Amino acid sequence: MSFLHPLALLGLAAAAIPALLHLLQRRVPPELDFPPVRYLSAAERESARRLKLRHLLLLILRTALIVVIVLAAARPLVPLRGGGAHQPTAAVIILDNSPSSGAVVDGGLVLDRLRVAARSSIARTTSADRLWLMLCDGVLRGGTREALLAIIDSTHSGWQRLDLVQAVERAARMVDAQPLQGREVHVVSDLQRTALVSGRAAVPPGVRVLALEPGRAVANRGIASVTVSEGAAIIALSGSGAGGKDSPQPVPVTIHIGGGRRDRGEIAARGLATPGSAVTVSLPAQSLAPGWWLGEAALEPDELRADDRRPFTWRVAPPARVTATSGAGSFVAAALAVLQEGRRVSEGRDVVISGGETSPAPAGAAIVQPPADAALVGQANRALASRGVPWHWGQLGTPGSITAPQVPVLEATPVARRYRLEGGSGGGGDVLATVNGEPWLVRSGNVVLLGSRLDTAWTALPTAPGFVPFIDALVNRIAIGQAEVSSAEGAPHVEFRTRGADTVGATVFGPDPRESDLTPATPALATAAFGGRDRAEVLSANDFAIERFSGTRRADASVLLLILALLLAATELVVATRTR
Amino acid sequence: MAQRLDLLDPAEVARLGGIEIVAEGVVEGFLAGVHRSPFRGFSVEFTEHRAYQAGDELRYLDWRILGRSDRLFVKQFEEETNLRAMVLVDVSRSMAWQGTPERLTKRAYADRLAAALALILLRQRDATGLVTFDDQVRQVIPARVKAGQWTRIVRGLLDTPDGRGTAAHAALQRLTALLMRRGMVVLLSDLLFDRELALAALRYLRHRGHQVVVFHLMDPAEVNLSGPPEVRFRDPESSLSVVVRPRELARAYAETVRREIAAWRKACRRHGIGYHHVQTDMPFGLALRLLT
Repeated sequence: MSFLHPLALLGLAAAAIPALLHLLQRRVPPELDFPPVRYLSAAERESARRLKLRHLLLLILRTALIVVIVLAAARPLVPLRGGGAHQPTAAVIILDNSPSSGAVVDGGLVLDRLRVAARSSIARTTSADRLWLMLCDGVLRGGTREALLAIIDSTHSGWQRLDLVQAVERAARMVDAQPLQGREVHVVSDLQRTALVSGRAAVPPGVRVLALEPGRAVANRGIASVTVSEGAAIIALSGSGAGGKDSPQPVPVTIHIGGGRRDRGEIAARGLATPGSAVTVSLPAQSLAPGWWLGEAALEPDELRADDRRPFTWRVAPPARVTATSGAGSFVAAALAVLQEGRRVSEGRDVVISGGETSPAPAGAAIVQPPADAALVGQANRALASRGVPWHWGQLGTPGSITAPQVPVLEATPVARRYRLEGGSGGGGDVLATVNGEPWLVRSGNVVLLGSRLDTAWTALPTAPGFVPFIDALVNRIAIGQAEVSSAEGAPHVEFRTRGADTVGATVFGPDPRESDLTPATPALATAAFGGRDRAEVLSANDFAIERFSGTRRADASVLLLILALLLAATELVVATRTR
Repeated sequence: MAQRLDLLDPAEVARLGGIEIVAEGVVEGFLAGVHRSPFRGFSVEFTEHRAYQAGDELRYLDWRILGRSDRLFVKQFEEETNLRAMVLVDVSRSMAWQGTPERLTKRAYADRLAAALALILLRQRDATGLVTFDDQVRQVIPARVKAGQWTRIVRGLLDTPDGRGTAAHAALQRLTALLMRRGMVVLLSDLLFDRELALAALRYLRHRGHQVVVFHLMDPAEVNLSGPPEVRFRDPESSLSVVVRPRELARAYAETVRREIAAWRKACRRHGIGYHHVQTDMPFGLALRLLT
């Protein structure tokens, strides 16, 4: 409630007048002879309760009368619910058409339900209001009612995830900057729990955030990601049960590689995966011709189709042509022999593995180990520098274990002796493995440096089962530079990046895996995320319709108060005259 | 007299003169109005016959003689003083109160009413006496019928000052010893004393064969409460006082008074006692007529 003339409220002090008069009038009354005092006493005894009640009632009525008159003079403006015009309002309607809005609940699209609510909000606006519409792309679209209604009608489920906390914060800032009496943000969303994890929106005072209560939760599973590495595809699933309580059941996953390119062959594989976990499907890499391969992982259709399929891409490279110098060591030579026998490498000078005793060939790729003789380290460093490699070997480092997220076969391998690799820019892309937090395997251009020699005196790697796969990855993937495959939000498809005639990378588009979790947030969580109870409310459809713009629907209540004052005065008159 | 004093406002009548003048004027008017003694029948006795003369009342014609001898004789009666009446006047302090200066006090009203009543009784040769009392008997004039009795009664009323508190039952008990022969007892009082004790004494008189009549005198201001917005009312006979707002309490007070009058009336009727509520603005003639 607000007041047009708040200073008039100072008059509320006058409410004490009846009580003060009552106290001040307690003077010594005149004394008169009256013989039948005994009758008076009896009458007073019988009427004492009634008189006390009458006095109290009169005091209350007179005090209330003054209060009501003062309030009427202050011209109170009270909020109105339901229909009626509202004060000019700045409003942002957030229509969450993220992929999860494509779920089918009770035979209808979630987006259809949200669209109706959004249309209804816009229909309630007047020409004095300022309106914006935000979709899952996060763009605030201003415009007339008709324009925004047309956008809503043409909106379909998008492919971008909408962070509701950030969206509300942006919307709140926008309406707060408007010089209008009302400022509201209407959140029309399925209120996924995963859309509210980024903290609490900073909602300025005076901005009301009204969120539509989410509908019924349905079970869903989706493909979160597909990762192809040496000889295997790892398919991770995400999703949620109905109401978020059901334990997930394993579901069949199918992958196809090379679909539509029968000239290059096709691979199909199946596996069982449980939402929240991943399944690994082996790929017969030898049967695939070198080049970029497209694939798709698919689930059986469920309520949300957008996450049931996810494309992926995989580059199959030809066997690297490798030469190992004499300084590379016997273990490297033995591993190359095994790989050559398995047709994973061939003889050639595309990749040279050396022991630091020779300068790496400027044309091809080089894998350089530190020299066995410490006296040759300086010469080796100068050779690297002459080729433009910023890295060099420094002092001996402390023993430790290898940490290598990008090269899993190296993980936890003990290292007894090593040189510190120094001088690089420290960019995350250059360092492929570390020991005690210090670089152990780095790449600069097509030169790969190792901190230890591949020898059992330096590291246990040559005797580990992963040594040959490591050499395979080193020569076929790391040394020649793996083509980068990145992912992005969007309709499921793959875009290749080219340089000249070569394809140097790819981007795989698909929905954010968090969209697969359809578990709705609790009203308490949503309220807290949207600024707290004093700013935000999560409302049912009916309450949402009532509360919209009600914060600015106000009426001058002074007429009602004056009528009330008249009633109080009449009541006071009746009590004062009729109850004697 | 151009106007009948018995029907005028008592306060106006009182301004004409003293008790004697007022009482005589009231009685004259009263008797002229009723044309005959209001108390006929209990004080007359047949003595002899005489020949009928024109103008004699036909009701005194002896119809038996007329039937036997066809002659007209009328019966003659000799009045006898076989009625003894005592008028009891409450002279307590509460009786000396008037609601407004224009009205008579209850005591003044009672004095004049008592004097008029005594005059009527004495004129019909009834022995009449007077007792004044407050918390004790103040004045006793035994019932007589001899000449000058009315003057003594009036003098007794005038000589009795306003008293203090009222304990009527003590005075009434003492009266029982004074009234040895059966007669009539008329009590003029505002009855502001303990009802049960007073009724016990009146019941005793009634038991002794007396005819008892009570005049309950009240000032109109005692019936309808009025006064300043807030006032402390004090009982002149006791230390009892109470602070009230007359406008607030008027209705409840009127109801209390009505109940009190009804209680007196009911109690008196139950014991064969005549009860009359008289306000001091009631003309004396109307008050006297209550006795007929």
